[in-house]
Amino acid sequence: MNPISNLIDRINNEDLWDKEIELERHEYLKVKGSIDTNLYLVKSGSLRIFVIDEYEEHTIRFGYKNNLIASLDSFLNEKPSDFYIQALKKTTVKAINKKRYTSFIESSFENKKLWLNILENFILQQMERERDILTSSPIERYNRVLKRSPQLFQEIPNKYIASYLRMTPETLSRIKKS
Amino acid sequence: MVSTSKKLIQNLLEITRENLNTAENLKNQPIDFLNWKQGSENWSALECIEHLNRYGDFYIPEITNKIKSSKYKSSEIFKSNWLGKYFSKSVSYNEDLNKMKTFKSMNPLNSKLNIQTLEKFIDQQHQIIELLDKSKFVNLDKTKTAISISKLIKLKLGDTFRVLIYHNERHIKQAEKTLKKAPDSASL
Repeated sequence: MNPISNLIDRINNEDLWDKEIELERHEYLKVKGSIDTNLYLVKSGSLRIFVIDEYEEHTIRFGYKNNLIASLDSFLNEKPSDFYIQALKKTTVKAINKKRYTSFIESSFENKKLWLNILENFILQQMERERDILTSSPIERYNRVLKRSPQLFQEIPNKYIASYLRMTPETLSRIKKS
Repeated sequence: MVSTSKKLIQNLLEITRENLNTAENLKNQPIDFLNWKQGSENWSALECIEHLNRYGDFYIPEITNKIKSSKYKSSEIFKSNWLGKYFSKSVSYNEDLNKMKTFKSMNPLNSKLNIQTLEKFIDQQHQIIELLDKSKFVNLDKTKTAISISKLIKLKLGDTFRVLIYHNERHIKQAEKTLKKAPDSASL
């Protein structure tokens, strides 16, 4: 069993979720500049995390069913974060606040180990992502992401995938056809 | 009203997020539904939004300039003065909407409105979010801005934000209420 589903089962068993939030398509869970120290589980739907830089949006990450998502910078340092989190379709998430989450993690050795494992995996993903961004060929970038997360191409509209891949939607559809 | 600047900004961002979400939702509705009005003197949902856009056209450039030219470094605490309290209270949303007179130039009644009205509002909300973020580096107390209704009065930046954003909330909720009274969009 992967560490995230294992962790989620444990949170479910202890009934630790604070609330459930429903978002309609394009509604925001978080906007730039706010402090958000919750951790969210996506029950259904999909979301994207992005930043706006000089009126251009850069998509950083996606979340879909059974993923954990957060404004991780705010979650860790409890400071305002530049990230926007937006629902891409009708979406339901469950939220757990940091205080409750931390005491849950610290309540057992097993929980600690799971969280460490999740964070390790996250670092590995971030390193892959860093390589994506440093890859200059658009086709190469596309292939790396397709290989790594084919699910993305089924769940997320092209426009946002293109932003994630740092290319125009036109380039993306050309690459997909070839 | 006394608050830490951090708390005030967080609170105003939260209200703006909700205003933005309502606008994103309205964008999914048919245009006839958004233009529906209860009576000739009532505002449609889009007229509520247009009214807010006109205020945004005044306040967004004004706040942008005053933040740019402010020489005062940020302070921990923000303290509203009587003028700020008065204005932000009078424009705030409350259950039985206190009637207010609308300035003629701000009255959108019977203007031609379409989906661009909403897109403009959504764009303004992103600009407000950006300004709230930038305002963390200036003094919300000592930086002053002009207001739309009188050349003689200046408000503290923190109060100007409150007036602008509470006023947005007020009419966003009015737009929502209007649509609740509207017949099903299918029957229009």
